[in-house]
Amino acid sequence: MVSADRVLRVRPVEPGDLSAAEVAAGFAAGHEEALAEVYRRWSALVHGIALKMLGDRADAEDVTQQVFVSAWRGRSTFDPTTGSLPAWLVGITKHRIADRLAARSRDQRTLAAVGGIREDMRAAPTDDRVVDRLVLADEISRLDDPRRTILGLVFYEDQTYAQIAERLNLPLGTVKSHVRRGLLHLRDRLREVTGGPSGS
Amino acid sequence: MDHLDPEQLARYALGDDVPLGTDEQAHLAACDTCRTEIEELRQLADLGHELRPDDRLDPAPPQVWDRVVDELGLREREPAPSSQYGGVAPRRDRRRLVFVGAVAAAVGLIAGALGARVLSSDEIAPQPQPVATTRLDPLEGKTGDGVADLIKSGGNTELRVGVNGLPAPQGFYELWLINTDGERMVSLGVLDPTTGGTFAVPPNLTSQGYRIVDVSLEPDDGKPEHSRDSVIRGTLPT
Repeated sequence: MVSADRVLRVRPVEPGDLSAAEVAAGFAAGHEEALAEVYRRWSALVHGIALKMLGDRADAEDVTQQVFVSAWRGRSTFDPTTGSLPAWLVGITKHRIADRLAARSRDQRTLAAVGGIREDMRAAPTDDRVVDRLVLADEISRLDDPRRTILGLVFYEDQTYAQIAERLNLPLGTVKSHVRRGLLHLRDRLREVTGGPSGS
Repeated sequence: MDHLDPEQLARYALGDDVPLGTDEQAHLAACDTCRTEIEELRQLADLGHELRPDDRLDPAPPQVWDRVVDELGLREREPAPSSQYGGVAPRRDRRRLVFVGAVAAAVGLIAGALGARVLSSDEIAPQPQPVATTRLDPLEGKTGDGVADLIKSGGNTELRVGVNGLPAPQGFYELWLINTDGERMVSLGVLDPTTGGTFAVPPNLTSQGYRIVDVSLEPDDGKPEHSRDSVIRGTLPT
């Protein structure tokens, strides 16, 4: 049996814990490792939005690839002093999704022309509220435990503070404090990514 | 008076049952800034309550990064780890490195009596058969035991953990998967010592060597790292 002290000098794997500003500056300056870091931080969100909007895994993967390829090729149009990188990436994501939906719509029109099928499935525009929800989900997932678990129980499962306190064996005051501070933190994060909780 | 402090604003926005003092009420009646902030926080809380389980983000499969690298002809071939490891909510790639003695791989082979509970909600529906199972045995000087079942259902991999006899904690219990290379670990989330739980596991994680199931006692100190205070542990067979 292994004693507890065999385990564990722990350190985070994230290289040097670069700040978001450092990553954005490195990206704009064309450092490939900054692109890798940007991908690590934001690909789940980009992929999640694409999957939600397109409902198809292959399409979502294609769009995710396209977003990071076009972000890298268009990095000179990103100005880290005036905009946030995630907001810029989300904007690119919406464009690539719109492109994909437009292509589907063209395919449907072609089908309709060929087969007399009614053209009743128009591409839906990306829903900003859904994007905001996914940004929030992404930011909740970045919280450290127990805050991540607590906010997940509050929002996903609509549990009361008392239920959460009992379930996690934490004092009620601790739970409340995590929810309040978590909400403030999430507000700050959403301001950066979307310009506000209701979208920019 | 000054603006309300942020925690007061959040408390108000959340509708927590804490009456404001008369000074605060008077300030709020007169202060657009504070009212705007409360409204913003309230909208955020509303948005949060709209979250549905399928809003939990699905990481892009690793080959997407490979395709980006190929298309751009990058030199940087560092694999981009898929970035969500989730229990209650998915988590970003906060993989933590941990240096474990190689012996750690041998943990979990000791036999003994076992009576772990599984989630009661899991008992209703017929469960897929686990593809791997391990007992969780106490580390030296610890009490408690349990069992962990690795379940594959559809495209999803889950770890179902039942535990027994874990002492009521000062702090909380956290579930980890530690790599048998002794260098890497991921957190799967907070473990309820009374009910156990079922945790989403990213696909292929166990085949990459993340097979040591570890339950640690974590102080509520805001530090995400493993506390080094492991309580029970076992290794999933290959």
